[in-house]
Amino acid sequence: MQPIQDRDFDQLFKDAFDGAEVKPSRDLWNDIESGIDAKKKRIMPVYWMAAAAVIVLATVSILMYRQGEEEPKFAVVKPTEQILTTETVTQKIIEPAKTTIEHQVKPVFVAQKETKAVVAKSSSVKSVTETPTQKVAIAESDAQTQEPVFAKVDDSKKDLNQKIEEIIQQQQETVIAANPAVLKTDVVVNTNPEPENKSIRNVGDVVNFIVNTVDKRKEKIIQFRTDDDDSSIASINIGPFKIGKRNKK
Amino acid sequence: MLATIAGKPSSSLYKHTMKLTRTYTINDLLEGCKAGDRKIQELLYRQTASKMLAVCMRYARDKMEAEDVLQMGYIKVFGKINEYRGDGSFEGWIRRVMVNTAIENYRKNLRSLSVVDIDEAYEQPSTGFDFSSLGMQDLMKVIQKLADGYRMVFNMYVIEGYSHREIAETLGITEGASKSQLSRARTILKEEITKMEGFGYATYTG
Repeated sequence: MQPIQDRDFDQLFKDAFDGAEVKPSRDLWNDIESGIDAKKKRIMPVYWMAAAAVIVLATVSILMYRQGEEEPKFAVVKPTEQILTTETVTQKIIEPAKTTIEHQVKPVFVAQKETKAVVAKSSSVKSVTETPTQKVAIAESDAQTQEPVFAKVDDSKKDLNQKIEEIIQQQQETVIAANPAVLKTDVVVNTNPEPENKSIRNVGDVVNFIVNTVDKRKEKIIQFRTDDDDSSIASINIGPFKIGKRNKK
Repeated sequence: MLATIAGKPSSSLYKHTMKLTRTYTINDLLEGCKAGDRKIQELLYRQTASKMLAVCMRYARDKMEAEDVLQMGYIKVFGKINEYRGDGSFEGWIRRVMVNTAIENYRKNLRSLSVVDIDEAYEQPSTGFDFSSLGMQDLMKVIQKLADGYRMVFNMYVIEGYSHREIAETLGITEGASKSQLSRARTILKEEITKMEGFGYATYTG
């Protein structure tokens, strides 16, 4: 009686299990099926999220790159521009206003000289343009109490631009005649509001609207010309890569 | 595809192929599975599950664990079906996925690798075995009773034909450990078989 050789022993197992079948005791198919679905569902969002992340990162980095380029310019230019605008406009407006309502303006000038601050000036100008009847009283109160005026300034800043525009439009001819510099400020004021009021008629408009909301730069990342029915790309501005001019308004 | 199947002459495989061609060719099943056709996937499962469960059983402690591995294995098969390039039989590829899943499952719950040290004086049974009276299910039972580590090495080396180096790499052990675990696994199996009722000393013919 020979002890069995390892090779033979192994072979016996191999033979026994070759083509062996064991029936599953429970129906596993439903579990497998839901397992396949779960795996698919898990995989899909991962890919989508990765794609979304790439797009977001690219957009952010482009914007950062652009801002890094333009921020210093804007940071310096914009506020001064703003102040300059209000300052010059107030001065320019007052001139024509002076000609039309000369006697009413005078107290305002007094108030301006007393308050000195540009913001205060503009607020008083606002009151000038608003209602000529109330103006004197407010101007007087301005001279007496400066504090409330300063408090009001921020709230009224927006209105101020609109009022200034209105006044400018009303008295445009006079203004142009009086001082060509006003025309310049007019342009600056007009470019500030976004062209959101334009009715959205096609995809180009939608894209423009979204880009306008997100991208506050003068040269947007992408702009569509939507004057004609088939909106075409008017301009693209992806960092160093730029084509087209800014969509004309 | 049929050509590659036929290229591996195995009686069971041939039978299997014939069974498939009666309903669907293996090409239909493969293409349908690649396309994610749920009905074809189910058909492939129904055609192969019993064989694959027998594979998983050898690596598991019991049928419950084996069925869990089987389920994970099929989810992998359908998920990775596009990785099958047609080298070797499709069934062989499914079997490899099952074996890998079983090994992975073992490594995942590496339950304190219960390599019980057997007494060196363990008497080697010098019996001649008569396997004719031993069914596959009996052998399955003794394999499942092995400690997890032994069972892995024995299956991988003896049935799947891995080398000791491959086993060492896959299980993260040394080649020496693989060899010694194989030899101990054999010793235990022989002992268990001789202990089986109506077998062993009573039935030897030598």
